Parts: sequence; C-alpha cells; structure tokens
Amino acid sequence: MSEPKPIKSWVKLLEAGKKATKHQQSEESVQYPLRRSFRPAAPDIAKASLKRDFEVGLVYYVGDDIEQDRALCGLERRPPTAHTFKDALEKKRILLEKAGITTKLGFDKKKGVFEY
Amino acid sequence: MANSISQTANSGGHKKYGYFLGCVMPAKMPWAEKATLMISKHLGLDFEEMKETLCCVRPGVWKAINTDWWLTLTSQNLANAEKQGIVLVDSCNGCWISHYETLKELTEEPAKLEMVNRNLSSIGMHFSGDLKVKHFLEVLYEDVGLKKIRSNVVRPLDGFRIMRHIGCHARKHGDKLPGYFDEILRATGVEIIDTPYDKTCCGLLLYFSDPHTSIFDRIGAKMSTAKELDIDAYAIICSGCYDQFERAVKVLKDERGISFDTPIVHFSELLAIAFGYKPDDFGMKYCRPIPTTKFIEKLASKEGKK
Repeated sequence: MSEPKPIKSWVKLLEAGKKATKHQQSEESVQYPLRRSFRPAAPDIAKASLKRDFEVGLVYYVGDDIEQDRALCGLERRPPTAHTFKDALEKKRILLEKAGITTKLGFDKKKGVFEY
Repeated sequence: MANSISQTANSGGHKKYGYFLGCVMPAKMPWAEKATLMISKHLGLDFEEMKETLCCVRPGVWKAINTDWWLTLTSQNLANAEKQGIVLVDSCNGCWISHYETLKELTEEPAKLEMVNRNLSSIGMHFSGDLKVKHFLEVLYEDVGLKKIRSNVVRPLDGFRIMRHIGCHARKHGDKLPGYFDEILRATGVEIIDTPYDKTCCGLLLYFSDPHTSIFDRIGAKMSTAKELDIDAYAIICSGCYDQFERAVKVLKDERGISFDTPIVHFSELLAIAFGYKPDDFGMKYCRPIPTTKFIEKLASKEGKK
C-alpha cells in the first residue's frame, strides 16, 4: 500500500513548529550520536499555536479581514477579548513567566522560539 | 462539592451571564456570535460577551503538557469571571470542559486551589471558587426552558432536514447535553436525520498526530454522508469542532478537489431564524467555507409559499 499524499496544511503547521525551534534533535543526533534524545515539553506540531497563544493570548489573530467580517455580521469590529484588552494579555505573560511555564517549556519570549 | 461552593454567589435571583467567546468564535464564526447574543436577549436573558478573555486554555493541549499549568492558566479566566460577578457561559465544548473541570478540581482539592492562587497573586488576582460555569445548552434548557423556547418559535423550520454534531466533550459528563441539544433543535421544527457518524469525533486533536484519519475518516465521512442524504444543513454548537470542520472542508477542496455543499451552521443560527430573524440580521451568508445560499433560498421559497 502506498503512502498517502501528505496534507499540505499539516506539513505547513509542522514546519512552522520546527521553525520556532532553536535546536533540532534530529540534526544534533548526527553531530552527537551518543547523546540520548528526549521528549520536548511541547511537540513541534503544537508549537505554532502555542507561540500565537503567548503573543496574542488566544489561538487566532484578529486582523483587518476578520474585523470586516465581524462588522458585516453586526458585531463590534474587535471582540472584547485580549485582542482588545491588552492588560489581560500582559497579565497572562507575567503569569506564564512567574509560574515558570515559559522557562520549563524552553520558550525564549524575546526571540519567539523554543529551545527544543 | 463544586456545585455547593459555586452556588454561593450566583444562586437565585437575577443572573448576569458572561458569554465566553474563546479563540475560534470571534475570528471565524461572527455569525454564530451575533446569533447567540440575539437569541439570548430575545429570550430575556441578561447576556453579554464576557470581557478581557483569553484562550480557555485548550485542555487537549495544556492538560496533556502539564495539569498544573492548565489549572493555572484557566484560572485567570475564572478569577476574572468571578470578579465580574457573572455566570460564565460556554458554547464551545473545549472551553466548557476546561472551565468546568478546572472549577471542579480547584473546589475539590484545596492544595490545587492554593497552588493556583500562589501563581495568580503574581498578577494581583485571586480565585475563591465562587463561580458558576454553565454550558449554553444548560442556560437555554434549564434557565429558560423548552416551553419558553417553543413559544418563541414563529417561523418553524419544518421541511428542513439536518444532521447534527454535538462533539465529544459535551458527552464526557453524561447524556444531558446531547439530549438538550436535540430537544432544542427539534423545538425549531427541523427534522434531525440520525446517521452512524453522529457520535464520531470531529478529529480536532487527532489532526495533530494523524491528519489523514482526522480529515478523511472523520469530517470527510460526515460530510459525504450529508451529501448522500441531501441534508439542508449540518448543525454544530462547538467552536472547536467548527474549526476542524472548516479546516477539513478546505483541505478536501483545495488539496483533493472534493467539494461539499451542505452548509455547516451553528445551533444559534437555527434558533434565530425560528424566532423570526432574517439571515441578514446576523450575517449568515458571510465568511463560510461552504455558502449558505441554498439554505437561505429554501427559507425564502418556504416563506413565499405562505
């Protein structure tokens, strides 16, 4: 049975996760073959959405096109979420840091990448 | 235990509901957001979008990574809702399960509540557990009642055949929510067509690890069945499930050339139409992967025959 044709949007999501990762274990294992591999705190496939969550406070951005769609439906252009209330996002970022989550996840918030 | 604690502030009297939008609804389902607000006000509820919300946070991701992190991050939303003095209402099953289970765990395990409050103190917040979390279906069925819902139906949707997908998380704590979903849908007059795929998962989380099964064997099978049965609409309530329906429909069309024409509609849209609102009142025709044109035309044709 032949391999099913890859799903492009899934591959794109995986690539985005890999791009947001500083050290690739697959590459390092060639350089350091005796080093034992480990399970990163977050899988590559989930990293892009986690990164967005850290940057926006929610999984999806609200840009001009979405604002327009919301207005067409009779809603405020921007939802009353952390997209609008930046203070809520700032609190979340502090919480992520103080609770040790960003450190344990190996997330460098300045560069926006995961260590592994 | 969770209920006895949560009832202290919100029991009896006037209830102010705060609708938790989550991540998907405000970005991808504005028609559902508008329709939900419209029908809630129509039914006399003090119902508004909850302010300052963040991701719920997604139990399928965060709970799997670290339970304490999931409890901590979810608690920011819960503490915020407690401060706003609202009943927190979710229609996304993922958000509901995150809020419901976190509240349950924190009220049953004082050590967890202490841990969470230690973390929340770093942002000047505190959560005491004095909060009620409700699924939108519970609000409609238990607080409004089927009798009142039925009495507000002025444009019965008889002649409309639908398939429905309530989503796995709504089944996790018993059969109550699926029962409410069906009964309220039937109150609009639609005919629910049962199929073998009604209880299968949308595949949202499966997409991470097995995209083929998630796309083809979950949504692909559901949408193919809807096509074969010439269904008028696929009714959903969960925003997480909608996200997956939308993703799968786009993948099937753009990457495999498989098109479907059964629109995926939110439960609240059907109620809004049954209550007499026009599709344009909540933007039913906008920003959807499958146009609602056929559905709206059938509605107009039914009106014209009267």
